[in-house]
Amino acid sequence: MKRAIRDMTIADRVLLVMLLALSLTGIFIVREAVPLTAEVIVEVDGRAVFTAPLDADKNVLLDSIHGKIGIEIKDRMVRINEAHCPNRLCMKEGWVSQGVIVCLPNKVVVFVGGRGNRLNKELDAVTG
Amino acid sequence: MPLQDKYRIAVLSAYALVLHGFEAILPMPIPWLRLGLANIITVVALLLYGFRTAMTVTLIRIILASMFTGTFLGPAFMLSLGGGVASTLAVGSVHALSQGLFGPVGLSLIGSFFHNAAQLALAYLLFIQRIEAVLLISPVIFLIGTSTGAVNGLIADLLLKNIRKPVPDKV
Amino acid sequence: MSRRRRQPALFCFMLCSIFAMLFFLLPACSSNRPQTYQKSRALMDTFITITVAAGSGKEADNALETAFAVIEGFGKRIDFFSGDSELSRINSNAGIAGIRVSADTFDLIEKALYVADRSGGAFDPTIGPVVRLWDFHKKTRPSDTDIKRGLALVGYKQVVLDKQRSTVFLKKKGMLLDLGGIAKGYAADLAAESLKAGGIASGIVAIAGDIRAFGLRPDGTPWNIGIKNPRQERAGDEIIGSIRLSNRAVSTAGDYERYFIEDGRRYHHILDPSTGYPAGQCRSVSIITEKGVFTDGFDNAVFVLGPQKGMQLIREINRDFEMDGIIIDADGSVSETDRIKGTIKNEKSH
Repeated sequence: MKRAIRDMTIADRVLLVMLLALSLTGIFIVREAVPLTAEVIVEVDGRAVFTAPLDADKNVLLDSIHGKIGIEIKDRMVRINEAHCPNRLCMKEGWVSQGVIVCLPNKVVVFVGGRGNRLNKELDAVTG
Repeated sequence: MPLQDKYRIAVLSAYALVLHGFEAILPMPIPWLRLGLANIITVVALLLYGFRTAMTVTLIRIILASMFTGTFLGPAFMLSLGGGVASTLAVGSVHALSQGLFGPVGLSLIGSFFHNAAQLALAYLLFIQRIEAVLLISPVIFLIGTSTGAVNGLIADLLLKNIRKPVPDKV
Repeated sequence: MSRRRRQPALFCFMLCSIFAMLFFLLPACSSNRPQTYQKSRALMDTFITITVAAGSGKEADNALETAFAVIEGFGKRIDFFSGDSELSRINSNAGIAGIRVSADTFDLIEKALYVADRSGGAFDPTIGPVVRLWDFHKKTRPSDTDIKRGLALVGYKQVVLDKQRSTVFLKKKGMLLDLGGIAKGYAADLAAESLKAGGIASGIVAIAGDIRAFGLRPDGTPWNIGIKNPRQERAGDEIIGSIRLSNRAVSTAGDYERYFIEDGRRYHHILDPSTGYPAGQCRSVSIITEKGVFTDGFDNAVFVLGPQKGMQLIREINRDFEMDGIIIDADGSVSETDRIKGTIKNEKSH
């Protein structure tokens, strides 16, 4: 084995180092650059009570401040289809494919596409 | 085809099949992790008898192995075939073009790289179709592939040295 | 077996490519560089997002949780609707007695009165009796007589502060202090101070549209804040400009947040304290200054005053402390202070 290692050509060694470096840096790069699998996270009063992948259709009923709240996932979109708060603004939001749906009276926040997902990559926040 | 060539191909294919089968029954910490031991034979065949022999041995190995395991023309077979053909093609052309720049280790590395690249591409096109999942896993696969590729190359080098030695050390 | 034939050119090429690769790739993945971490909560009846730059997720998480706790605690003290909040006790003791409140609540009320005073009452924290007549979700428009009756109880000069005893007293029975137009900016200030105290060097607290930014982004540039288009017509034009902020706050008052349209007229939540009806001269007003309490208070004031008098007020305040503003009037024309000219794209400038 020692002899085999010694007999590696320079090109062999260079190629080995190059491939190792490429795959090692690649691990870090994709972790930074590639968005994690799109998720739906439902928080009630700051606590995550439900997490599911965005690409599996699902219908759930969760406990919130004012009774149950219904979350529907379909075709990579999410909506609130049941709520028992006075104005039901969250239901009027309709289908959301990315961003958040908020139900203030129920303190429910539905993150569509992961928690840190931004509407716009260049903007850190929006006023208005 | 001279009889001698047929004989060589048969023997090499048999070796490759044994390694392929041995690898299949070897328990692995991660199910999709493969050592790619059969690629040792591909490299050895290429360096001893040329590209055509290497390709024939690879094809025979993949087709026969899939028949033994009952996966012929199934998804696993497609991946195996794509990876094997791509890596043999790549190793053959690099060997022909670089004129001895790469030794067995370098060729084995190239083989493993193209084997993985082709399988990832095929997996994306045929099965997963989620580019982020493929991108996320590919550097890890390449890292493992590079390590196993290097070890396989060293083994191939040792094999070649023993085969080429006119007078064996021990008999 | 001598296959070690060196080919210098190819070898050099491969070596160079390795170095090039390392040179470009490694800086992108060094692990200790600060990253941004973000968390959102529904608190104070609104949606709050805090973004911080921190070296580790744990450090960020601790600071974020503390900041949210600060906002939540403060929000409870000045909650208009909960019976046991400090604000409710002030209101229910109007005309009866002064109520002792916490330092933050006192400070907020003091600053609210300052904004009211500087704006000549265009912002008035005692507008509560009129505000509660309107319901923008149920589209209820109060009668003129109801509004008149409510207006009689509006007047920031009827609030008596006792700094020594930290008490707040509303002189007339029925008066209602409503801090909704300024509390979010103040809460953003509190949260930012809490983050700084927790060792966070830079971040953004966004309480609905009231944003307080401090420090710089991990890439060394100021935070980039988008300004919402008051009249979004199609997908893709929800932002009409952006502004770069460091150690500044920005707030926007808009007629599009809570409103209903009846007989072609837009009734929105920014009420003119002198008439009790929605102020009609602007679509949106953004104010930029150091503290969120002032951006939040003055955006309402400028909105009510309208483009001319509003811009005059911004310039006046600017003599005392740096203040900038963007006013989009009822026709969509944009006025901006000199320092931030050109923030709004495609403006129909005066």
